[in-house]
Amino acid sequence: MKSVAAPASYPGGMTGGVAPAPASTPAFAQYSAETESVASADAPEGDGRVADNSPPPAPPRPSSPPVVPAPTTNGAPPKAPPTATDAPHVVSMLIYTATLNLAVFQVTEQMDKVEGIGHSIGGYLAVRNDQQITIRVPRERFDEALGQIEKLGDVLHRSVTAEDVTDQFMDLEVRLKNARAVRDQLQALLAKAGVKDALEIEKELGRVTESIEQMEGRLKLLRDKIAFSTITVTFQPVETQTVRDTTLPFPWLQDLGLSSLLNVH
Amino acid sequence: MNKKTLLAALALLSLATAACGRPFDVKTAPGFIELDDQAPSYDYRAMTPEGVVFAVRAVDVDDKGDIAFWARAITLRFRQSNGYALVDTKDIESRDKTPGKELDFGHDESGKPFTYRVRLYRAQSRLFIAEAGGTKEQMERYKDTVDWMLSSVRVKCGSIVAPVLASHTCNKW
Repeated sequence: MKSVAAPASYPGGMTGGVAPAPASTPAFAQYSAETESVASADAPEGDGRVADNSPPPAPPRPSSPPVVPAPTTNGAPPKAPPTATDAPHVVSMLIYTATLNLAVFQVTEQMDKVEGIGHSIGGYLAVRNDQQITIRVPRERFDEALGQIEKLGDVLHRSVTAEDVTDQFMDLEVRLKNARAVRDQLQALLAKAGVKDALEIEKELGRVTESIEQMEGRLKLLRDKIAFSTITVTFQPVETQTVRDTTLPFPWLQDLGLSSLLNVH
Repeated sequence: MNKKTLLAALALLSLATAACGRPFDVKTAPGFIELDDQAPSYDYRAMTPEGVVFAVRAVDVDDKGDIAFWARAITLRFRQSNGYALVDTKDIESRDKTPGKELDFGHDESGKPFTYRVRLYRAQSRLFIAEAGGTKEQMERYKDTVDWMLSSVRVKCGSIVAPVLASHTCNKW
């Protein structure tokens, strides 16, 4: 897993846990194009009214992750997605995370506003305590949310990271696909097996099913992290090394402030 | 000028010089009382019954650092180390037209919002720091009075005696 610097503007349009396809991000554009081809492969021919030389229609937004088939409950083999085997995606799947340090002023009021921003753009509150609040916002509105929060107060520190989980995602997908194939084979064997073999097969089937469920859970978590960006706002000073290690040699400077001023005698 | 007049003038001058021993002038507004014996941290401090405090201090900096330097140093200290919010900053002038800088900070103390205004001037090889602070509510209530006191600060000697007394011992006020 690696972290990469966030782009200047954050892409939008994400649905279903996969990176969107803004014009400014080639990786996403590539994904969009592939999605379009997937959609075309699955789509019915239509009525043929579109001329051959007419421009292609706008790519539809992916409504669900493109390569992960829905788990089946009846043990039947899931319908394999058209591109899962032959054309693995080269998609940048990024988890955006922002951390803001705001000055400690009117904290309760500002926390309420941060929470309000989260709700107003389709996000939700994740964690809130005396000094810190974490909201999760739809990825396509991540930039908008950050902009609104930054206007609330004096931003002492800002950090945005984009963690690329493409490898992790693809690895899980492949392993899940293989595990499902094994499960299908075991189920086929089970149907034909005698009593003695059936016990062994069922044991193995249980192990494989458990593994599939774990991988599905991890994929779901990854999709959620990709779909909803995390913004943490902390209301506390930033102890920078510059100030701590290179304190100006003027004692009166340390004596300034509200605590000295208001401590009358 | 006869001898009596000269003596009277000298007496007045010495009286003025020794009047308060501060290298600046500040007026205490109605609603504030001046506090005694605030040295060494403060050269002047006054407060309201509600706890809004106004103070002035003169720090000997030996001509080191201009206003921009000290404004930056104070801002860094408050923002980065103490988490104060820099609400506003602007260029200002003292009553005697000395250019300076005003910094407005906000900070929560025990969960309560406080505001803190600092004005900086450089004169007489010193850095003059005028401060006012209190709860946000009380500072808003006393805003006009605090502004009046801030505007009353003079950090230079008068033009007549300036050539003679514009020094570390300038106690004209």
